[in-house]
Amino acid sequence: MATVSIIITTHQRPDRLPAAIVSAQSASQDVEVIVVDDASTDETADLCASIKGIRYVRVERNQGVAGARNIGLVASRGEFISFLDDDDLRLPNSLDEQIEALSHAPEAMLCYAQAIPEDAGGKRQTPFPEHCPQGDIFWELLAQNFIPCTSVVFRRSCIGRVGLLDHHRNRIDDWDLWLRIAEIFPVVGLSKPVVIWRQPTPTSAQGSSNTVELIALATTHFRHNCLRMPRVAQASRRERQQAWRAFSINFAEHLAWEAFRGLCDHKLGRAFASTRTLLRLHPDAVLRVPRRWMRFSTINALTRGLRRGDLENAKSKFKHMART
Amino acid sequence: MPRVSVIIPTYERPLLLRRAVESAQAAGSDIEVIVVDDASIDDTAEACQQLNGIKYVRVERNQGVAGARNIGILMSTAEYVAFLDDDDLRLPGSLDMQADLLDRHPGAGFVCGAMIMANQDYEPTCEVVRAKDPGADAFWKLLELEFPVMPLCALIRKECFLRVGLLNPRISTIDDWDIFTRIAEIYSVLVTPEPVGIYRQPTPLSGQGSSARAAQLERVTRHQLNLFRLPRAATASPVRRKQARSRMIRRISENLLWTAATRFIPKFQFKPALRNVWTALRIDPFGFIRPQGYQKLIKHLILRTGVIRRRTI
Repeated sequence: MATVSIIITTHQRPDRLPAAIVSAQSASQDVEVIVVDDASTDETADLCASIKGIRYVRVERNQGVAGARNIGLVASRGEFISFLDDDDLRLPNSLDEQIEALSHAPEAMLCYAQAIPEDAGGKRQTPFPEHCPQGDIFWELLAQNFIPCTSVVFRRSCIGRVGLLDHHRNRIDDWDLWLRIAEIFPVVGLSKPVVIWRQPTPTSAQGSSNTVELIALATTHFRHNCLRMPRVAQASRRERQQAWRAFSINFAEHLAWEAFRGLCDHKLGRAFASTRTLLRLHPDAVLRVPRRWMRFSTINALTRGLRRGDLENAKSKFKHMART
Repeated sequence: MPRVSVIIPTYERPLLLRRAVESAQAAGSDIEVIVVDDASIDDTAEACQQLNGIKYVRVERNQGVAGARNIGILMSTAEYVAFLDDDDLRLPGSLDMQADLLDRHPGAGFVCGAMIMANQDYEPTCEVVRAKDPGADAFWKLLELEFPVMPLCALIRKECFLRVGLLNPRISTIDDWDIFTRIAEIYSVLVTPEPVGIYRQPTPLSGQGSSARAAQLERVTRHQLNLFRLPRAATASPVRRKQARSRMIRRISENLLWTAATRFIPKFQFKPALRNVWTALRIDPFGFIRPQGYQKLIKHLILRTGVIRRRTI
């Protein structure tokens, strides 16, 4: 029986899938690669039949990413589980390192690490997240999902204690699961890149309307579900308010950034949508964002980045400065 | 590797659980019993420690029955999966018999047996619920509610869950109907007339149970529209879909009126009766064109007598 099962969910992407499978096989000495084909109608099935050493699970009816991952979980037999998307790449031996880290902390259930974002042009950026807090990270995670989904290795037994992924919460299902794990168990963070995370083209209009939508989803989830989690519900009112404030300012900043970028790119519709969501969901954070941005250092970073025309880089630098 | 996994979700019923577990262990020769404790805060954990040969999984946060069953599926190692509620019983040897049937029919997704009804003290009420063999048409019969499958009497091939997905925890109390329909869409279904389990009926005339039933049937009518999106229903002719829809709606509204007329009104329980009539009117506003159901209701209103009869849909 393999120690670690890596679950690759795929849907209609036979061109990218083989690279992901090879990277997964090289990530550990003793790995079980499970490819969950979420009802693809193209040549994915034939392709997987030709690859040796994988377990191919075909889902007949499309389940979405979270549903497919759940099916992968049922099919898996390893003691540890990791997810991988069909266009991402695991770095060699990275799984072994994470399992080693987990074995030093027997009570911890989850180990996450850094991911290297790679844009469509193949340009790699600085690993995310910059700092990897360890131990009880519940409140930090509540403010912001800083755990790259594909960098996580967790014990299969913890799913029995916190439940499976919720496939009705598409796109925030991973955050939801990490929260449920971190609520009860300590977490190990490894400051080391383990996965290459290919991102959709950041400037495409679709990508950013998705961001706005995602933030709306996350906000609803926070208000309706996170605040009801036993640990949050039992916390003092002050702690709950702090959690909301941290969450709110983080997303308000994102939205303000989206609006700003929309203006820069002369896409008024996008800017308008972001501003509207910002005012609707995080009205109280609106005043706090400019106060944070108005510092000299941050503006400096921003203008420098803009002059070079590298918006994404400017954003990460500037957010880093705003925080410190 | 065991042959059959019996998944028993339990919530704060340590006294009843023991009987269920023992009946499951006696129901086959190579059984793995998985008790999923859905975040009980009483002494369920201690009660489970005293039970021999079970796999005990404790969920820290309540997941509901479907979520707990999913966790059971995740923990199971056998080829076949059976669900058992903590207050129901499996008959001795029933799981072996059903597993043999599935062995012989590799194309079948699940096998459904008959069920003996019992009261709260597990005394049989001399009523056995048997499903008629739906033949090749199980999917449509399930969609029309004409082929009732209780999770208690089914043995399911675990591979089915990998192909159609897990149970849906969002639709509580009808998740079983949903999963059986989804399985029947791509697998064939076997039926055996042998009784396989004892169903402990909830207190028959409690008001809560009945209003829950009306709400449940209403959810069923709504969820049928989601199930129509399954490829086999979506590619069928619109006439077929319409037929399935109208059959189900007629069935449900008649059932609601029938329960109101024969069960609630003779007992002078007008509140649940009204709720049933209201639900029936809402889901089937044109029902007055077919007045049989209402005739029955009016007759009972006038006579205020009637034999209490139970009818399952």
